[in-house]
Amino acid sequence: MASIIDFTDICKTFKVPLRTKGKFSMFKNFFIRKYKTIEALKNITFKVNEGDIVGYIGPNGAGKSTTIKIMSGILTPTSGNCVINGYVPWKNRREFVKNIGVVFGQRSQLWWDVPIMDSFELLRDIYKIPKDEFDKTLKLLNDALNLETLLNRPLRQLSLGQKMKCELAGSLLHHPKILFLDEPTIGLDAITKLAVRDFIKFINKKWKTTIILTTHDMNDIEALTNKIILIGKGQILYQGSFEKIKENYASSKTITVEFAKDYDNIALDGYEITNHEKRFATLKNLPSKQFHPKEFINEISKNYEIIDFQVTSLSVDEILAKLYKQYEIIER
Amino acid sequence: MNKSYLGIFKMEFKGELQYRNKAISGIFTQFFWGLLQIYLYVAFLNDTPVNGFSISQMATYIWLGQAFFAMRFITMPKRTGDNIVNGNVSYNFVRPLDLYNNWFCENLGQKIAATLLRFPLIIVIALFLPGNLKMYAPVNITALLLTILGIILGICLSVAISMFAVYLTFKTLSQKGSATIVATISGLLGGIVIPLPLMPQSLQNVINYLPFRFISDLPFRIYIGNIGITEGLIFLGIGIAWLIVLIIIGKLLIKSALKNTVIQGG
Ligand SMILES: Nc1ncnc2c1ncn2[C@@H]1O[C@H](COP(=O)(O)OP(=O)(O)OP(=O)(O)O)[C@@H](O)[C@H]1O
Ligand SMILES: [Mg+2]
Repeated sequence: MASIIDFTDICKTFKVPLRTKGKFSMFKNFFIRKYKTIEALKNITFKVNEGDIVGYIGPNGAGKSTTIKIMSGILTPTSGNCVINGYVPWKNRREFVKNIGVVFGQRSQLWWDVPIMDSFELLRDIYKIPKDEFDKTLKLLNDALNLETLLNRPLRQLSLGQKMKCELAGSLLHHPKILFLDEPTIGLDAITKLAVRDFIKFINKKWKTTIILTTHDMNDIEALTNKIILIGKGQILYQGSFEKIKENYASSKTITVEFAKDYDNIALDGYEITNHEKRFATLKNLPSKQFHPKEFINEISKNYEIIDFQVTSLSVDEILAKLYKQYEIIER
Repeated sequence: MNKSYLGIFKMEFKGELQYRNKAISGIFTQFFWGLLQIYLYVAFLNDTPVNGFSISQMATYIWLGQAFFAMRFITMPKRTGDNIVNGNVSYNFVRPLDLYNNWFCENLGQKIAATLLRFPLIIVIALFLPGNLKMYAPVNITALLLTILGIILGICLSVAISMFAVYLTFKTLSQKGSATIVATISGLLGGIVIPLPLMPQSLQNVINYLPFRFISDLPFRIYIGNIGITEGLIFLGIGIAWLIVLIIIGKLLIKSALKNTVIQGG
């Protein structure tokens, strides 16, 4: 399949002026500049196929938003090439942006004091959407997101969840080919999150929209994406399917054991004791140790009398935490 | 003009119209400040005309200045500045629009709404004040028409100059500082700090050709007949030339600022 996003060796360094505070600091900062540089992205290379939903994940400060901004033509990279939908985003910005939609979960693109519908109509004019097409799209978005009651209310009156629905609709009015979502589920409750996920899937199916999303919620990743890109400290650490990562960690088990009596000390070859309190203990198998229930019972019963035990696999969050740790990309 | 820029203009216009309380308190301030200025003028200068201005002309000039204060005072809409500093400006970048035109229309919408909300009431009251305080009607209908043209030009100039504050905000990320610098310079040279007619003639000879005096000093002088019709037309031409120059410089500056700009926030 043809790739719609082609990112090659993109680097981005920020020159951060060291600002002085106090009287006339603005003048000083304007005329005398001292900088420190931050390497936000280092040689980022990836491709995205048309119609894919790609999860772009990594810890805080990894460079996710910076990448989204470069992809949407907001920032110019320090070096590297990027072709999206046939355009170099920061070169033909005005042409390029006609075919993309962007949502920054922590910002708003709609106007604060006016009814949502007024904002939508202004977007219609900005993107020069023909009236019948606009009406059709609006109806589709309306049905999918249940916007009916929100459209005549101003943005400032809406809850976070209602706002996000309107933001999503606003980013899709012009039927973009590519949708960039930077933390679209931030701060949403469980039900709204599900609704937003369903909607993203729906649009992807219906319009074959290519979607790049960043998130800290691994359930978003599991539910939505067919490819993930893991980035840490500005570098890509993994790209591929999330399933593969899960498989890698599938053998990691957590075993909670209930003993018949209090033991002072518990030890078992091949296992790490992560918690021990009175008659209960939590064990984890070391990477070298394959977990088998029968063998486990035999071995632990040699020295201890057990009543019950329960085995759990790693949650997706735990897998991610392990990944971050493994790559040592968490900033301290 | 393109429909989308008109839409952006309307959005800011409607937004500003909602700030009626701000407008009312503005009207009060402007009204009392106007009274004070006329009293001071009368007290210090008595009946001696200054730089060819009679008391009635001066009172009228001062009232016009107060009525159109929102237009004369260079501001940058708070939202434009906020957006640049906090990074919301990202959304301006992902629209298929020219960013200078975008902000120009935002500013223009806000300026026109703010001006329309304030001037009628002050003018109406000033026209009916007693004695020395009274504002007079325009010298003739042609002067009035030229004044209106001049005020339209003035609003555009005011916005074109405020675009320099937008540029400075990009450069310094200090919207207050940027707005203050631009407002102070244009306030000094545009007659907000000291009315231009009260400045020494030698200084006026320079200031009269800088862009700032075309914002309000020119239309007001046409209104009171201090500048005649022919001379007024010539000056309007100079004002329009300044507007074009300022827009071109502004566009170039914004373009250069955007080229190596860094958008804030994650
Ligand atoms: N405008 C800026 N000026 C200076 N440094 C910046 C700027 N924007 C981002 N950075 C730096 O670049 C790095 C990447 O930031 P980015 O916002 O892309 O992270 P992120 O992956 O989106 O993080 P988060 O999950 O917290 O949103 C960080 O170290 C950040 O401090
Ligand atoms: Mg981010």
